[in-house]
Amino acid sequence: MKQKKPIISSVLLGLIILGCIGCRFIMTKDPTYMDLANYSHAPNGEFLFGTDTMGRDIFSMIWYGGRISLSIGFLATAISTAIAIVFGAVSGYAPRWLDEILMRLTEIFLSVPELLIIILLQAVIGKATIWSLAFVIGITSWTGIAKIVRTEVIQLKNSEYVLAARSMGGSFFYILIRHLTPNFISSIMFMVVMNVRGAIVAESTLSFMGLGLPLEVVSWGSMLSLADQALLNGAWWIILIPGAFLVTTLMCVTNLGNYLRIRNNQGVRNL
Amino acid sequence: MRKNPWIYYGKKLLIFVVSIFLLSVIVFYIARLAPGDPLVSYYGERAEKMTAGERAWAEEKLGLHESITVQYGKWLGRAVRGDFGISYKYKMDVLEVIEGRVGNTLLLGGVGFVLIFVLALLLGIWCAWNEERLIDRAICKIGTVTSCIPEFWLSLVLILIFAVELKVLPSSGAYTIGKENDLGDRILHLILPMTVVVLGHLWYYAYLIRNKLLEEVRTDYVLLAKSKGVTGKSVMFRHCVRNIIPTYLSIMAISVPHILGGTYIIETVFSYPGIGTLSYESARYQDYNLLMVICLLSGALVILCNMIAQTINERIDPRMKGPDLTEDAEVIMR
Repeated sequence: MKQKKPIISSVLLGLIILGCIGCRFIMTKDPTYMDLANYSHAPNGEFLFGTDTMGRDIFSMIWYGGRISLSIGFLATAISTAIAIVFGAVSGYAPRWLDEILMRLTEIFLSVPELLIIILLQAVIGKATIWSLAFVIGITSWTGIAKIVRTEVIQLKNSEYVLAARSMGGSFFYILIRHLTPNFISSIMFMVVMNVRGAIVAESTLSFMGLGLPLEVVSWGSMLSLADQALLNGAWWIILIPGAFLVTTLMCVTNLGNYLRIRNNQGVRNL
Repeated sequence: MRKNPWIYYGKKLLIFVVSIFLLSVIVFYIARLAPGDPLVSYYGERAEKMTAGERAWAEEKLGLHESITVQYGKWLGRAVRGDFGISYKYKMDVLEVIEGRVGNTLLLGGVGFVLIFVLALLLGIWCAWNEERLIDRAICKIGTVTSCIPEFWLSLVLILIFAVELKVLPSSGAYTIGKENDLGDRILHLILPMTVVVLGHLWYYAYLIRNKLLEEVRTDYVLLAKSKGVTGKSVMFRHCVRNIIPTYLSIMAISVPHILGGTYIIETVFSYPGIGTLSYESARYQDYNLLMVICLLSGALVILCNMIAQTINERIDPRMKGPDLTEDAEVIMR
């Protein structure tokens, strides 16, 4: 079976990212300005997507806030991937007993409910910012990738070229970066892309629950945290429009990830 | 190689106890190192107006004046005898607080889990049977879309449609006040949260089944069975499905905590009185004793389910040993 390239998804995602980066050219209003005379307006000519319960223009907020949601997605993934590669490689490279201990520790780490770790870490760090939230999401989502890296490293570490590099005095990090990473990068790519999706979902869920970004910092999640009030007066646009953007982005990312996964597996499968 | 079952299960028990112990240490320390005032959760607003003397007295009463290590030692000493202390907020024994809520979560998560388990199996078989036909492709597309929708947003949309616009279903709680024992009323309150629980996870597992089956029907024994004159349906159900069931079981075992964890968020959105809302409160308002027990319970569940999955996997394939085996499942998990 030939896998079709995800053209529509790439284009859509590209448009959303471009729109968010160049938000100042698209925005029709100041996204943080609270126009108290025009709160909870349904979409109309002036406010394309309506206004929220605090009188902010939703159309402008989407592009402006998307920048923050997407950056958290990418930042958190960068953090979790870096931790995962180092942790997984150390675990795979280390002697059996150390490997066993590290894997057990991962299991204990996994058994603490993620929500709880995030609440507690957030409390330690204090007021949530983009960086702190990305950090918190990043250090709670590395275990999946780490396990794959570990398996790959176990298989790779006995190959001749690694042995050669080692006998010539190559350090652990040199071998990791020069020899191991290029070999396992394609097998973790799918997970990395899925991690971006996970991080965007985590940001929006946390901000929605009031645990992430505060209301003043516009993101797709914090926009949705006004949902309670919106439900009371039936303001559907406050819930549906930012959510639609969120879901579209997540879908595009998923399609890209699936494409990578299937392409990577093509040699193995008998389909 | 046959191992002595006593040693085998003894080792598992030891790992379990050590893991729970480490977990309790970690949670105990993080919770107490986090800033925040546990007295507020006990005394409410009054705590902020207390004089230094009153504070010292209150802290001594709750045992918060000692160093964390001493506090942990005392907590552990009581905990092994089954005394987990009182909840600061509810002023009741922690176990009693949890007992009042755990039923609701088990109902939502448990029934949800069974529904996901059965529906995913059926949907997966249905798709694999109609591989690459229109119906399969349509379901795959719809499935991908549903699996991309964040649970909290799906909850919001459902509330908007069924509670706000159509006014046919309640938007929050587990029962109407005054109708605690009315079964119909409870079911009515369960419909929306349950839909979210099931829809949020269904496609993930159905897709897994579909793909596993597609791999299965391409193996040689299927060809042999067909050439012997066994009908397609019979091969599918009596051989292919049977072959993937053990793998499915082990993956579902790992998923128990995952699905229960998902109900936490859903409980919060629907203000459903379960363990999820309780854990959220206890972590935010420094209700230490309650937080500890909830963490230990959910931690125990995770470790237990992992062990069950490990045991199933070892039964299927004795070559799988050590920490590697849950890998296949976890790779797909994320």
